[in-house]
Amino acid sequence: MTANRVRSLVFALCAAALLAVPATAKKGKDTSAIRTPDTGTINAPQSEYRPLPRRDTLFINATILDGAGNRFTGDILVRDGFITAVGPNLPREADITIIDASGRWITPGIVDIHTHYGTFLLPLSAGEYEVSDITENSDPNVAETWIEHAVHPTDPAFSRALAGGVTTVQILPGSGALFGGRSVVVRPVPAVTLAQMRFPDAPQGLKMACGSNPANSFGGRGRFPNSRQGEIAGVRRAFLDARAYQMEYQDDLQEYLSGKDGDPPRLDLQKETLVKAMQGELPVHLHCYRAEDIATWINVLDEFGVKIAAVHHATEAYKIAPLLAERGVCAAVWPDWWGFKREAEDAIPENAAFVEAAKGCAIMHSDIPLLGSLLNIEAAKAAAAGRRAGLDIPPETAIRWITSNPAQTLGLGERTGMIKKDMLADLVIWSGNPFSIYTKADQVFIDGALAFDRSNPAYQPQSDFELGRPQKGQLP
Amino acid sequence: MRWILVFVAVLMGAPANAQTLAIVNARVWTGDSAAPIESANIIMRNGKIIAIGPSHAVPDDAQIIDAAGRNVTPALNAAATQIGLVEQGSASDSDDRSVSSGPLGAAFDVALAVDANALTVQEARAQGVAGAMVYPDAGQGIFAGRGAVLHLSPGPDIIENPRAALFAVSGSGASSAAGGSRGAVWALLRNALNEAKSFRVAPPSNAPRDDALNALDIAAIGPVLSRQIPLVISAQREADIRQAAALAEDYNIRIVILGGAEAWRVRDLLSRQKIPVILDPLDDLPMSYDMVGARRDNAALLHQADVTIAFSVSGQGIYLSYNVGPALREGAGLAVANGLPYHAALRAITTGPAALWGPSSEATGVSGSGLKAGAKADLVIWDGDPLEVSSAPVHVIISGQDISLQTRQKQLRDRYHPSRQNRVLSQGYP
Repeated sequence: MTANRVRSLVFALCAAALLAVPATAKKGKDTSAIRTPDTGTINAPQSEYRPLPRRDTLFINATILDGAGNRFTGDILVRDGFITAVGPNLPREADITIIDASGRWITPGIVDIHTHYGTFLLPLSAGEYEVSDITENSDPNVAETWIEHAVHPTDPAFSRALAGGVTTVQILPGSGALFGGRSVVVRPVPAVTLAQMRFPDAPQGLKMACGSNPANSFGGRGRFPNSRQGEIAGVRRAFLDARAYQMEYQDDLQEYLSGKDGDPPRLDLQKETLVKAMQGELPVHLHCYRAEDIATWINVLDEFGVKIAAVHHATEAYKIAPLLAERGVCAAVWPDWWGFKREAEDAIPENAAFVEAAKGCAIMHSDIPLLGSLLNIEAAKAAAAGRRAGLDIPPETAIRWITSNPAQTLGLGERTGMIKKDMLADLVIWSGNPFSIYTKADQVFIDGALAFDRSNPAYQPQSDFELGRPQKGQLP
Repeated sequence: MRWILVFVAVLMGAPANAQTLAIVNARVWTGDSAAPIESANIIMRNGKIIAIGPSHAVPDDAQIIDAAGRNVTPALNAAATQIGLVEQGSASDSDDRSVSSGPLGAAFDVALAVDANALTVQEARAQGVAGAMVYPDAGQGIFAGRGAVLHLSPGPDIIENPRAALFAVSGSGASSAAGGSRGAVWALLRNALNEAKSFRVAPPSNAPRDDALNALDIAAIGPVLSRQIPLVISAQREADIRQAAALAEDYNIRIVILGGAEAWRVRDLLSRQKIPVILDPLDDLPMSYDMVGARRDNAALLHQADVTIAFSVSGQGIYLSYNVGPALREGAGLAVANGLPYHAALRAITTGPAALWGPSSEATGVSGSGLKAGAKADLVIWDGDPLEVSSAPVHVIISGQDISLQTRQKQLRDRYHPSRQNRVLSQGYP
């Protein structure tokens, strides 16, 4: 292999890994050697999550909402954790466990893209001082922080979400900073370490925030930014700095690899995170309520080639539904929150339905742990409001708001959120129509393995926190 | 489009002062009985129900609403909310829920702050809420002040019963105001009751006083000692609920528990002492160390033990005042899903709460009573099962008036409706 060939390979790797740095490179001025092209960029560690024990299973006679927009009665075949067939009257092979779902409904596992589980840690009373790590709030740009470093898996909210049919959870940093840092996507399964929950190979995301929260958080302390216009200036400055950094970094790296310079370039994790967002590797999740704020941020981020995966909270998405649809930006919303802050003054229950009517991407999110186990009910409210406004929002449409649409914003749209061949077998058997208040998740499957069973205490996880508490005890 | 026709019909229909209103062909849940009356007619005149039943003739002069077999229930009644006290959570000029300085503690009277024009009132009314206890938050000390019973007839006059209950807080949320311990709350509460009792025996002289409470607050506690009004104590933790029950016994006062996440553990005691609980059926998480025992069948267990229950659905504070009607129905539905009988859940959000604030432990028979001849004509026709979140009111009748369901939110909905996306003039033009 010639030296030139090695260099071009190095550049190919750099492009793929964005910012390769030889972390183990030798110090000194030995300019004769060609450097080793190992990538020094810091990636999220490998997941240590392992699927729970599972059996190949045939679910039969279910009313299926497939998350792709269809409703039908049929069977689902699951082998090795994947959906291998969907349809009516699938063959009942001898080695297969059969679960009869007659009269019951099956949907994809719910995907919640906005939680603070493990960081907005329950109980909250001591949280502010000791264990609450929602956002690193010391600077408006903390893009180099990763929320996964703060997550406490013992949060009881994980098991409540699982019991509510949730199989995939994004944990986001809070909204105090313009650049709040990187998110992590997990499975809500019992674990001692974050790594044991990490959704294998799920991309990280970048949390950003517009409007009142960053301006109040920093302006309130006499710091920058204290206004919306200041926020935009701060965002532009950060991306311009990141762009300049990237070019300089690549030049320095080239000189180092070619042996012209003895020192490898220094990785800046804050700027690198923004570079990754510009190159589309980190889906951007933007906290933003008002229509004009959302429109402004879409355009400003577009100046740097940054596409927003989802605008979170987005109480005024309905005012710009066609714009969101055209730009491919999802709106993650509550069905009925309004009035609790000025930015939410114009929220209406038809918000998601109007986004849907514009052929946009609507999503229900929880944000608070209470709603993490009620997302099917949240979707029921929003769909009913749309129907009363004359729009056609059947269950097979509304289910997408809590399954395939959110999965897509996480970069997981090809793996979870739909019931079709080759998707992960993340499934919920509901006792009835999932949009009824009386319906419960009977069984929840993750990767084809039973993770929750309403009728079997052996499959009802309890967090370490809740263990042995007299208040939780048997009925006196 | 159909929704526009409905909208026009709402605008043009419903003369405000119809003397006789008749709902025909309704499936009526009276709020008192376990089963509905099918195919019933309800005749209303001068704000009262004059007849109800399957075969009542409709007077010739009546304005008729055909319920088409839909469910009819008594109007919703919120046992603890803050509509009219708050409109915009982050705007201090639209938030009068608490006093945090000045001399007012127990003496704070929310009736003097209630704004009938607040959007929280507008929304609640259109959501089918006719009755509400509006209560203060504790801004200083352990007494929040006195709550008012509202009756949401259209117009400015919505206060039905001011100073209908005194509100106090306990538990970890109150301990700092009390000095740093949950225990201090109970010492201060007992002292307050003692001081008020002494005041009644020997009114103040010119002699020096060393009372912890000022005269305003002492006077406000008087009606609690005479059992005219209840003392509502926010308490979640079993230990605090037991302290509240002891207080009720020692001072022979009426206590209502607000919160009660662990009330299921004390249900026999609460039943024996006839202490009602206003609980949140959505609670199942240990939001604080006071709520470790929270569970979704709390309502069902209390009902089984014959404890009087009503609901206040908080949604971490969001639902409490901004979505009070739908939140009550969601809470009731979830309670049914977790074992509470349907009619008991319905009662807890309609006819039940009035009994908490009456002069005795019995229902007042004024607003909030069940649907029967002689009762106030406060009712709702629903487009489905009222305990499903997907349902909504078709008609809201308050004091016999078919009220407009138009709200600011519905006007925003209509302004930005997809059918108007391509108009020549921008959305801002009518």
